[in-house]
Amino acid sequence: MLEVVEWIVFIIGLILVTIGAICDLAGALGLVRFPNFFVRLHAATVGTIGGAVIPLFGVALISAVSSQLGPFRWAVAGGAIIAAFLIMIIAPAGSHALAYAAHKAKIVPVEPKVCDLLEEHEKRKAKEAEKK
Amino acid sequence: MDTTYVLDIYLPIIFAVFLVSFTLYIIRIVKGPSVVDMALAVDCLAFDLAVFIGLLTLYFRTPFLIIGAIALALWAYILDIYIAKYFVRKEVGE
Repeated sequence: MLEVVEWIVFIIGLILVTIGAICDLAGALGLVRFPNFFVRLHAATVGTIGGAVIPLFGVALISAVSSQLGPFRWAVAGGAIIAAFLIMIIAPAGSHALAYAAHKAKIVPVEPKVCDLLEEHEKRKAKEAEKK
Repeated sequence: MDTTYVLDIYLPIIFAVFLVSFTLYIIRIVKGPSVVDMALAVDCLAFDLAVFIGLLTLYFRTPFLIIGAIALALWAYILDIYIAKYFVRKEVGE
């Protein structure tokens, strides 16, 4: 019975690692092929959340049932889970900070633009400062 | 449960896919028209290296490699924050 549960956990881990590899390839292709920075942010998020968090959870599941690692397998599982949670918190925060800096310093043009509320807000603020 | 014989066959295929995406990220780092593009690509590359280290831990059956993954994740975040801070305020520190 325990053997069956271990096999199921192992196969789920392998599936997660496979999904991660596919997402990573898709994110890398998007990062090369997409036209400008703000569109590339989408591909980068696929590459980090899909391509780094999910396979790390898969590594944790695989290592938890792999007896060839010895008693250290729980250390590997814990390290992988910690790294996965760190990346899950850190990657959106980092790409948001980069996007905000690129918009604020006007390094890259906002190209497929429908409406830019942040720019309008900054213009309105500058106008109010001029009045004073 | 001994999973060595499955992992020895399956993990090299995953390694091949990851190496192809590393190459594509490095193309973007070299080509990148602006600094933020390069920073974004370095970010993705560092997170993927963390995953690669986790997979190498399983492949070589050495539990001490996983410690590097956590440091790599934090390093990429520091790079992002420094570049964003420099572009917004034109200074780093404070």
